[in-house]
Amino acid sequence: MRARDTGASHRLTRWIPAIVAPIAIGVGVVLVPLQANAAVDLPDLTPAELLEFAASSDVESLSGTIEQRSELGLPDLSGLTGAMGGGGGSGGGTGGGTEDFGDGDGDSGSGSDGDAAASATDLDDLISLATGTHTAKVYLDGSNARLQVLDRLAERNVYLSDEGAWIYDSAEKAATHLTVDQAALDALEAEAQAHHDEARERLEAELGAPLPTPEQLLDEALAKLDQTTDVSVGTDGRVAGREVYELVLEPRDADTLVGEITVAIDGDTGVALAASVTARGADEPAFSVAFTDVSFEAPDAAVFAFTPPEGTEVTEHAVPIPTVEELEQWKAQAEAESQAEAAPGDEAARPVVHGEGWSAVVELPAAGVGGAGFDGEAAAMLGALTERVDGGRILSTSLVTVLITDDGRVFAGAVTADRLLDAAATGR
Amino acid sequence: MSSREANDGPVGVDARVGRSGGAGGGTLSLLGSELLTLFRRRRTWALLGALALIPILIALAVRLSGGPPTGRGPAFLDQITNNGFFVGVTAILVAIPLFLPLTIGVVAGDAIAGEASHGTLRYLLIAPAGRIRLLLVKYAAAAVFCVAATLTVVVVGTLIGWALFPIGPVTLLSGATVGVGDALLRFLAIAAYVTVSLLGLSAIGLFLSTLTTVPVGAMAATAILAVVSQIVGALPQLEWLHPWLFTHYWLGFGDLMRDPIVWDTFGDNALLQAGYLVVFGALAVGRFLTKDVLS
Repeated sequence: MRARDTGASHRLTRWIPAIVAPIAIGVGVVLVPLQANAAVDLPDLTPAELLEFAASSDVESLSGTIEQRSELGLPDLSGLTGAMGGGGGSGGGTGGGTEDFGDGDGDSGSGSDGDAAASATDLDDLISLATGTHTAKVYLDGSNARLQVLDRLAERNVYLSDEGAWIYDSAEKAATHLTVDQAALDALEAEAQAHHDEARERLEAELGAPLPTPEQLLDEALAKLDQTTDVSVGTDGRVAGREVYELVLEPRDADTLVGEITVAIDGDTGVALAASVTARGADEPAFSVAFTDVSFEAPDAAVFAFTPPEGTEVTEHAVPIPTVEELEQWKAQAEAESQAEAAPGDEAARPVVHGEGWSAVVELPAAGVGGAGFDGEAAAMLGALTERVDGGRILSTSLVTVLITDDGRVFAGAVTADRLLDAAATGR
Repeated sequence: MSSREANDGPVGVDARVGRSGGAGGGTLSLLGSELLTLFRRRRTWALLGALALIPILIALAVRLSGGPPTGRGPAFLDQITNNGFFVGVTAILVAIPLFLPLTIGVVAGDAIAGEASHGTLRYLLIAPAGRIRLLLVKYAAAAVFCVAATLTVVVVGTLIGWALFPIGPVTLLSGATVGVGDALLRFLAIAAYVTVSLLGLSAIGLFLSTLTTVPVGAMAATAILAVVSQIVGALPQLEWLHPWLFTHYWLGFGDLMRDPIVWDTFGDNALLQAGYLVVFGALAVGRFLTKDVLS
């Protein structure tokens, strides 16, 4: 046919589309993000001005998509966690496990499975949060808010409104209704405000001068922060297609693993659009949350409506609202206890914080992590995660280090392993 | 199995060559006769029948065994006893990793290689139809088969669910409940999503089909590529590669079961599939234009 009597050069020309198409797509893939990141130049602000600008933000309503990414440098444990999740995996994929929402309330649906299963899923949740990517939608309008975590073929929702909160988990088919006695809350607020005003008047009378303005307070706080942290305004950038300021916090402490924390603040509305934590010496953030798209128009009221669907296990949970007297009673009680704590012997009962600022280390006494200890799968997982050091086992990620000493105490902090060992040895 | 059942080949070719003789509107009539040939084949109906069996088996199994406990098995499976509409969605979920790619592989992989192995390709090219036009028509026919395949699973699933189980308003992933009409529209949207998901694979199959005169080779290679791509997609070590895999968004149709519907995945998926279509379409054109057609 035609192809047979044409020369080699003619043959080559017929491959042109096959060569051009991938190149065109490659160029597009490179150029489109470049264009989106074209230089941004917002009016210069000092850190204090930027914080003030962010604080004065009065955005009432927004809707958008958030992406959360963690790259803590943990070894991959999907094999282990898959085994531990039991039959919980809902339809393929690594991210498709039964992930509960935060506090154990969502778990109440699992009923008689026992604590062991619950703690296995909790551990699963923690690990899934510390590795991989999560996408969520956020809707906000006045006092209504909704967080919609998009899992593969599943979804977790938190609805907040004046009437209370709903937490719904489609994989568990469980809903939790948190209700608050609004009248009691209002009364508490009013009372607290009254107390506040009273205290303020008393203070002003004592000082003989008006209390510092919020700006002065901010300046003071910044000055204090400056002792431990270098606060600066970074280069302007773009998040979710909007021009943003970048606030950069760099710890001055050499013992901490945190390299820098950046917060992107929308140049127009002052809303924080992204935040990330980068480990010292790393290029990519270890943990980041960012809007991938955002709109400041009021979302449709229908997105905030929730009625538990049929066949859902509903847990009603009324959050008790204390009165101011009760609060003060609790405070007094807590103070009394903390004084009693000074007595030896009782010390082991509560977490202790060693050091301060960025290199603070939290110590959980042996009883704090459960005398039951780890057995079976949990022990296997612990063995895979941690490495043996002199005097205990160490779990190190790019941001957080945990030391489990042989006598059962647990030390944790955003610090180097040496600092933890030091704290364990000297108790400081 | 293809060579046996394609005994209508030469006749079909004659019809196609004859009708596409005129220039201009010839493409449409060529496509028409191509589709006629495709859907006249017993093999095509066997493939669609096998796909229809998936929801039927799922529905019968759940009906007879009483359904799994909550949270076990594929997503949506435990909802079937409450609402028969979920048979279709569950069947799509079960079919998309292997059965749908397999059938698409058979149709797309056979497109050019099948004609070549029957010795009918040169008859098709004698007509002034042009090689590019033949490729376009073959691809369009494969795309029509994608539509037919996904609709078979969803429609048969919905009907059998309707027949065997109580039906009613559908609970979405977000916990909202929508009426029957809205739910049926969403199922159609899911069928559209899955069809779009398979277009990239069809383009790959068509390209592989131009490489060989052994149709079984192209069919197997296409199906294997789909499986390999999904395995790569499950390896966390290759995470940087995942967004570029044509199977990356295959299970993303769950976003159509949310309230409000999240369309982002639909768009991303369509863009990705279009990229695969352009690249492998161009490769197929390059290969087919320079190919010596000897049979």
